[in-house]
Parts: sequence; C-alpha cells; structure tokens
Amino acid sequence: MRIKVWGARGSVPAPGPQMNRYGGNTSCVEITLASGEHVILDAGTGIRTLGLDLTTSPHCSILLTHLHLDHIQGLMFFPPCFRADADLTIWGPASPEASLEDRVARYISAPLSPVEVRELPCSVSFRDTPPSEWQLGSATIRCEAVNHRGPTLGFRITEGDTTLCYIPDHEPALGTVLADTEPEWVSGYELARDADLLIHDCQYADDEYPDHIGWGHSGMSDTLTFASRVGAKSLLLFHHDPLHADGFLDELHASARRKWADLGGDPTAVAMAMESEELEVGPASSPAGLASPV
Amino acid sequence: MGRVPAQKPLELILARNLLTSISTPAFLVDEHAALVFYNEAAGALLGRSFEDVGKMSPEEWTATYGPFDSDGKPVELDELPTTRAIRDGRAAHAVFTVRSANGGTREIESSAFPIIASEEGSSGAMIFFWPQDQTHGKDK
Repeated sequence: MRIKVWGARGSVPAPGPQMNRYGGNTSCVEITLASGEHVILDAGTGIRTLGLDLTTSPHCSILLTHLHLDHIQGLMFFPPCFRADADLTIWGPASPEASLEDRVARYISAPLSPVEVRELPCSVSFRDTPPSEWQLGSATIRCEAVNHRGPTLGFRITEGDTTLCYIPDHEPALGTVLADTEPEWVSGYELARDADLLIHDCQYADDEYPDHIGWGHSGMSDTLTFASRVGAKSLLLFHHDPLHADGFLDELHASARRKWADLGGDPTAVAMAMESEELEVGPASSPAGLASPV
Repeated sequence: MGRVPAQKPLELILARNLLTSISTPAFLVDEHAALVFYNEAAGALLGRSFEDVGKMSPEEWTATYGPFDSDGKPVELDELPTTRAIRDGRAAHAVFTVRSANGGTREIESSAFPIIASEEGSSGAMIFFWPQDQTHGKDK
C-alpha cells in the first residue's frame, strides 16, 4: 500500500511561513491500496487538497477516528462532496446518543455551515465502525477504542502481508508507566502490534507533556516507548502541536531518533510526518524511505 | 514477539489506571467477575499485593479472601456486590468480613459499580472497600 500525508497538524490548522515544510493542515492521510482503491484516514483540513487531486469519479471510504474538529473540519470543503458522481462512505465511532450522520451534521449545518448534509449532491453514507474486522477493497480494517478525550478509535489496516496502524490522538501513558505495564493493559497495544508502519500521536516534547497530562496526547518518549513495546517496524510521528514550527519539529525529530536508538531501534525508522510526503508501506520496504531530519 | 493475553477493553484499562492512582482500596473485575487487578491500598488490606497473586477466578478469590457474613459463613458468590453489579447492571453494597493473607480478619463495607461501555452489557466492575475500623482513610 502507498500513503500520502495531506495533513499532520493537531488541534487546529497552523498556517504560516514557519510551518511550510511540515505543513499546517490538520489530520488527513490517504491510503492507496494495491487494488487502486482509496481509503482516507480522518477528514482534517488536509482532505480539501486531497479532494482537489481526485480527478476521476471518486469512490472513497473515509475512516474517522473521532469527531473532534481537527479531524472533521475539512469534510465540508472536500470537493467530492459537491460532485454528483462521487460516492463516499464515512465510517466513525458509534454512539448511544446519536447516529454518526447526526453528529457530523452538527458541524455541517447552520449556523456553522452554509449547507446541510442532505443538500450535498454526492452520494454519501455514514456507517458505524463494526466491532469486528471488515473489508474495504483489498484491505482488512480493524478498529479499537483508544485512550483520548471522548470516544476515539485507532485503525489497523492490513493488505496482504502489510499492516499500517493509525492512532493520531492517543495518550497510552495516562495513569500508568508504559515501560512496565503488561501488554494487555496498554491502550492500543493489540491494534499496533508488529505494524510495518505506525502513525502515532507525538504532540508534545517531553518537557511539555507534564503540563498537558490528561489532554489525550502523547509526549515524545511515551510515543517511542509505545512503538517499541508494540514492535512497530517504522514510526511516523504525527499530530504536531500547532505551536511547533519547522525548526522545533526538526529538533524533536533528531531527539526522537536518538531515543529510538537508545531503545534498540534503527534511528532511520523514525520520521516526522510531513505534509505532501508519500511513502510506500510494506514488510520489505526500507525505512530509509522516511524523511530524514534536516 | 511472544504470545500476549487478550487486550483488555479501554474502559477496564482506564479503570485500572484510576485505581492505581487512588488510596481507596479497590478491586477491578472483568465481565466474568474474574479479579483482574487490585490496587496497593487493597493489597495492604489483604496482606498481599496483586503482583503476588495475579488474576483469579471468582471461585479462587472467594476461597482466598472470603468474604464471610456476620455469622462467619461464606457469602454466596451470587450475593456478592460484585456479582450483583455485573448481573443487574447497577450498583450494589454490602458489609462483610474478609480474611487477609496473615489469617486476620477485617470487617469492611463494599460498593460495586458496573462498568457499562456499550449496549452489549457490562465490561466488568469496580469494587471499593471501606474498612469498618478505619476513618478518613487513616487507621484509628
């Protein structure tokens, strides 16, 4: 499978010249399966430019980890939503309170939006993620609830012998010591286990994390410990804090590679997610394909 | 990588993390009422840490710790607050006596709260204990 990062920023879009290299758009990753089908992970503002790129008749599945604004904000500006020939299926966490469509419609409705979901010319269906695995094209999808604020999923996508795990908003170390906790008690462990590529929350530097405990995101060392514990073969650090400019992320990346080496890993297997970056994911793919720190 | 026990549901993970962080003695049981964790405060009450005993079935932990009623008779498994909380999906409360690892007994109040994450039913329960000979969290 091939992935392209369309947005790697967390919390809120962060445009500006000091953010140009890593990008300011919020969470969105496109997966192109070997079968040619597209699976889109989250609908942050990055999905807008992704949609501009879809020139042929779009048939897409969008997997929403949760409904915080930075993961759905781009949906209303996703060009295929306004094409009658587009066929979209949006998957997201179930809720006893309201359907997925009704919850997304709180955003795509007045007064926040000039259009309503029912007015979109595309064919769109909303589906609760099932508790068991399901198939999208040539990929098998599995999701699990993970530790964040509010109901939030992580996704495990397997195609052939390649596995990608996407957990953009995750605080597995909350209330526990990750390095010592038994695997079955680590949020997201089974989901991420042995993934060829783990895309994981790394919102905070270690010295920032103590002021943000319980906010639902990870400090860098916790991200690396989690990735090491689950045996991830390569790691893409994701959900960059909106205050983190390019230079800061470069330093964070270099520090992460040193710490990954301290944990016994190949430092080149750790990269910082960068907007417009494309990666081939596979068991035989070289982690050298990941971007190097500047 | 070796075989790993089945992943616990998130709500049990969060409950365990909470219990780890408090000084009220507490148990955590899964949907089958198996004891999957108790905190340090409960370990102090019972005389053994959870790390020493590990996961126990309801039959195992009642054989180890009791509880017993005011006449010294074992409380039936079906009547325990834990079982009632999981079975009925609502809080349950009782006063009984438990046996600690050193052979001593303590009279305690116990409240069990079911953990219900979905319409499929309970994922387990949290059980909090208040020793009758203790006030405001400190021994008299």
